[in-house]
Amino acid sequence: MSWLAPAFTIAGKDLRLELKTRDVVASVGLFVLLVVVTASFAFPTGGAGREGVAAGVLWMAFLFAALLGMGRSMAIEKEDACLEGLLVSPAPREAVFLGKLFSNLGFTFAVELVILPVFIVLLQLHPAGGTVLLILGAFLGTLGLVTVGTLFSAMAVNTRGREAILPLLVMPVSVPAMVAAVKVTEAGFAGGAAESTTAWLLLLLGYDALFLLVALATFHYVTEE
Amino acid sequence: MKTDALQQPVGELRADGAGGSEGSRRRLWAILTLVSLPVLLGMAFLYAPEDANQGAAQRIFYIHVPSAWIGFLAFFVVFVGSIAFLATGKRSWDDLASSSAEVGVIFTTAVLVTGPLWGRPVWGVYWTWDPRLTSFLMLWLIYLSYIVLRGYVPEPTRRAKYSAVLGIVGFLDVPIVYLSARWWRSEHPTQFVVEGGDLPSQMLVTLIVGVVAFTFLFLYLLSVRRSVARLRAQRELEGVSR
Repeated sequence: MSWLAPAFTIAGKDLRLELKTRDVVASVGLFVLLVVVTASFAFPTGGAGREGVAAGVLWMAFLFAALLGMGRSMAIEKEDACLEGLLVSPAPREAVFLGKLFSNLGFTFAVELVILPVFIVLLQLHPAGGTVLLILGAFLGTLGLVTVGTLFSAMAVNTRGREAILPLLVMPVSVPAMVAAVKVTEAGFAGGAAESTTAWLLLLLGYDALFLLVALATFHYVTEE
Repeated sequence: MKTDALQQPVGELRADGAGGSEGSRRRLWAILTLVSLPVLLGMAFLYAPEDANQGAAQRIFYIHVPSAWIGFLAFFVVFVGSIAFLATGKRSWDDLASSSAEVGVIFTTAVLVTGPLWGRPVWGVYWTWDPRLTSFLMLWLIYLSYIVLRGYVPEPTRRAKYSAVLGIVGFLDVPIVYLSARWWRSEHPTQFVVEGGDLPSQMLVTLIVGVVAFTFLFLYLLSVRRSVARLRAQRELEGVSR
């Protein structure tokens, strides 16, 4: 429990910074909207079976959004040695990780909640009873993405590659979470749980839990000098 | 950045010496590889019977399956080496993990090349999103990103820590990738997979010889690669840039 209070303090600091600058929500939000619109032109998003295509397009956009947001969030900490300040503070390393995780999750999920209705209207989808599934899938999928992403972004900021290296690390490892999230979202767009949806949700939960534990156990190796 | 972790391998390096037991073991692996690989080749073409359905194409199996086993073994070694490095901070564990990752990528590349060569005549397609194929493709991509990551981190200690974390996360990801690929595929009822349930004994013996020969090859390549890593570690300690 001693992790949560400092974690929320760190996430709160990110939130106050965001309220003042509106950097992440403006750039990431507009970026996701652009990806969604471009992809709608690029893929056949009408006709039968379009729920599957729509779910894929949406998750490509969410993936890019998460990568962009996490990269920025850690780049901000690099300026003026903020990260070093956090690391020498009395907060345990696990709390620093959870704080960054909460703020990454919060920003990405907030952007997704704004984009989701726009996407549904643009692509003339009718989720009806599947809305809960859509939100649940978006949350669990994003949690998986930002868990590995927060761990890897702490590594990526200290490499020569910086922004270029984060997607290379996150994308291969997050494939199972992406597959599961796309399947849940597809069922959501189709109006309700399909036969296999429970299994996919469990896979997402398992992925999130496993990598949350791994990230908590390894984060202090990544940040120690 | 001068830490104990960096100082430790020096003693080890000097105790080990340039030749020593490591060198003679490497020579042994080299000789065993040179003997067993031609034996495997001879057995694959002359001793093992021709498959009734798949014809000569099936013989690539004796290279494909051992490569897959060794690829997997190599990434398991990366996983173990990564955990051991984080636990002990000894550079030699990082050398082991990074060497094994590079050798593992070679064997996984062999799997991904020989698989489609067999798939085309037997399945009619070069590639299918079969769970095992998908898993190996993802393995290959994860450990390629491992190698790329190492190239992007100049400081040795940091490089070792980062790649160890990726080595652990990547290996734990594999069963989940396999599971998701299997569920994902099961929604398309195309049954391609050929199970080797009842192998004739000559085929089984040839396969076992293949696994043994490839294990020698793996041990040899790993040993060579580790000595390169050790030389590089020494050079980095002496302050010579890469």
